[in-house]
Amino acid sequence: MDWECCWDRDVIALGDCPNIREGDEDLFASRRRRILEKCCDCENFKRDLIRFRDSGHPLSQVFSLVHEEYRRQKSQIQSLVSFLDSKTLEVRFLHELGLVLQTSVDLEEVLSVALTAITAGKGFGMNRAFLFMTDRERDRLQGYLAIGPRNYEEASQTWHEIASNDMDLQTLAQSFRKNKLSFERAKFHDILERLSVPLSDTDHILVKAMDGKHPVLIEDAFHHPEVAPEFARLLGVDTFLLMPLISRNRRVGIIIADNCITHRRISEEDMRSLETFAFPVAFAVERAALYDRLQVELNRVTEAGNKLKEQQELIVRMEKMALVGRITSSIAHSIRNPLMIIGGFARSMLKNTPASDPKRDFIESIVGETRQLEGVLDEILNYSDSLYPTRDFWDVNYLLEGVIRDTGEAQRLRGYSCGFSPGDGLPPAWIDFKQVAYCLRTIVQSDIEEIEEGGVIGISTYLEGDGIVIRIEDRGRRIGREELDAMMTPFSSTQDLGAGLGLALCKTMLQKQGIPFGGEPLPEGGIVYTIILPTRKEEQT
Amino acid sequence: MSRILVVDDEANIRVLYADELAEEGYEVVTAGNTTEAAERLREGQFDLAVLDIKLKNESGIDLLQQLVKERHDMPVILCSAFSCYKDDFSAWLADGYVVKSSDLSELKQEISRVLAKKAQRAKTGL
Repeated sequence: MDWECCWDRDVIALGDCPNIREGDEDLFASRRRRILEKCCDCENFKRDLIRFRDSGHPLSQVFSLVHEEYRRQKSQIQSLVSFLDSKTLEVRFLHELGLVLQTSVDLEEVLSVALTAITAGKGFGMNRAFLFMTDRERDRLQGYLAIGPRNYEEASQTWHEIASNDMDLQTLAQSFRKNKLSFERAKFHDILERLSVPLSDTDHILVKAMDGKHPVLIEDAFHHPEVAPEFARLLGVDTFLLMPLISRNRRVGIIIADNCITHRRISEEDMRSLETFAFPVAFAVERAALYDRLQVELNRVTEAGNKLKEQQELIVRMEKMALVGRITSSIAHSIRNPLMIIGGFARSMLKNTPASDPKRDFIESIVGETRQLEGVLDEILNYSDSLYPTRDFWDVNYLLEGVIRDTGEAQRLRGYSCGFSPGDGLPPAWIDFKQVAYCLRTIVQSDIEEIEEGGVIGISTYLEGDGIVIRIEDRGRRIGREELDAMMTPFSSTQDLGAGLGLALCKTMLQKQGIPFGGEPLPEGGIVYTIILPTRKEEQT
Repeated sequence: MSRILVVDDEANIRVLYADELAEEGYEVVTAGNTTEAAERLREGQFDLAVLDIKLKNESGIDLLQQLVKERHDMPVILCSAFSCYKDDFSAWLADGYVVKSSDLSELKQEISRVLAKKAQRAKTGL
C-alpha cells in the first residue's frame, strides 16, 4: 500500500511531513518520536488509517481504537500538565507572597504587596483593587488604598513597564511602594473618601460580604438588588469581586477587585485563588496594624519615660536649688541679727546724740548703711524663697484682703484709700500663697511709696477664661513705658541690690510659677498692673 | 503700764528691745529660751509677748502654740529674721508678725495696735 504519511520511513527530509518545521530537524531521523509526537495528530496519518480500516485487515479495528484512546489520553495529560503548571506558578507566587507577608510588620509594605499581588500579571492579574479597612473607633469600614489604571492607555503603559522590568513580586511591590504609592493614594483620594460605610449598615453589600466571610462575585452591579446604585456608580464597573479580610474571626477589612479595563471574566478559579490569598493578607494586615498601635504605645511609653527622667532631673535640680535657698536663707539670717543689733543700737545712740555732736554724722552713716544692707538681705531672702514655689489652691479675694490689711498702716500714714472690688464666685487659684502675697504687697507698697500723698489705689478681681485676673490701678504718678519696663526687669543694669528691686523680683517670682504679670502706663497718669492666676494645675509650667 | 515679755536667743537683741520698748513706756521682761520664758510667765502676768521664731535649738512656733493654749488672753507678736513665716499656717495663730529690722518703728506700731485691740476686746467683752 502506498501511504500518504511518513510513518513507514526511517529517515525523512524537510517537506516530507507537514507538521515538522524548522527547529524540529532532529525528528527527521527519529522515527519513534516522530510517530508519537507528530503522526498521531497528522491528517495524512488519519487518511492512512482509513485506508487501513478499509483494507479489511483484522487488526485495523483494534488499531483505530488504540489510536483514539491514545489521542484522548494525550489530550488529558496535556490538560493536566497545563493545570499543574498553573498551580505550580500559583504555589510559587503564594510562597513568595507568604514570605513577604510573614516577615513584614509595616502596614504600608503589607498593603503594597497585597494590592500588587492582586493586580500584577504574575499574580492574580486583576485590573484594579480597592482596600477597605475596619475603623473600630469610628465603627466604619473606610476606603484606605486603591491601585489600578483609570483607562486603557494608562493600563497599557503600566503593563509595558512591568513587562520590560522582569521583577519578582517583592521587587514589584517595593517599586510600587517607592514610586507609585503616593501617586495612587492621590489618584483615588476622592473616591476612597466617599467609600465609607458604617459597620452597623448590615444591608450594605460590603458589610454583608464581611459578615458572610467568603468572597462574593457581583455581576450586573448597576441592577443588582443588593448593591446600592450610588456605590456601583462610584466604582464605575458592573462586575467585581468582594474579598473579605477575616483574621481570627475579626473583620479586618475587605478588598474589591475588578477588571474594569480588560473586562476579563472573573472565574470560580479566580475566586478560590483569591480566597486562599485573603487569609495571609488579613493576618498580615491585622498584625501590621497592631504593630503600628504597639509602636504608638511604645512611643508614648518612651515619651513618658523621657518625661519621668526630666522630672527626676528637675527634682534633683530643685533639691539643689532648695539647698542653695536654704543656705542663702541661713546666711542671711545669720547676718540679719547682727545687722539689726548694729543698726538698732546706732539708732538708739542717734536719738540721744545732739545735732552739734561731731560723731552724729558717723552714727547716721551706720544707720543708713545698715538700712541699705537690710534691703539687700530682704531681696536675697525673697529671691531664694522664689526658687522653690509650693503651690496649692487658694482663695484670691481672701489673699487680697490680707494684703490690703497688711499695708493698711502705710496707707493710713500716707493718707491713702484703697478700694477693692472682689469678683463673685471666683474659683480657687493654683499658686504659691506666700510668693503671690509677697508680690501683691510689694506692688501695693511700691504704689504707696511712689505716688503723691492722698492717692487712690483700685484693686479688682475677675474671671477671664480659665484665669483669675487681679487688676491693681494707681492714679497718682506719671511714668513712661521705658521707666516702667526698667522697674520690672529683673537685675537690669540700672539696678543694684537693695535699691528697689521689688517689682523686678515680683516678676521673676511670678514667672517661675508661670503667672503672667504686666504693667501698663495710663495716658492720663498712673499704672495698671495685671496678674493672671491659673485655676488649673495643668496651666503651670 | 503694759508688761511685755520678749523672748529672743540673742542677748544684744533682748537689750535693744528692752531699751527701746522701755522708752515707749512699757515694762519689759526678757527671756533667752523657752525654759526662761516659762519661768517668767509663772512669776507674773504679761499683757503681750514678743517671740523670736528661731531660738537656737528650740522653736518659737511651739512656744506660740503653748501660749495660745495656756494663756489665750495674752496676745503674741512673732518677730523673726525670716519673712517667709509671715504667710505660713503655723504663724497664723499669732496676733502680729514683724520681720526683724534695725528700725523698730514697725514693731512698736504692731505692739501698739495689738494692745489697743486687746483693750477693745476687754472693753466689749468679745
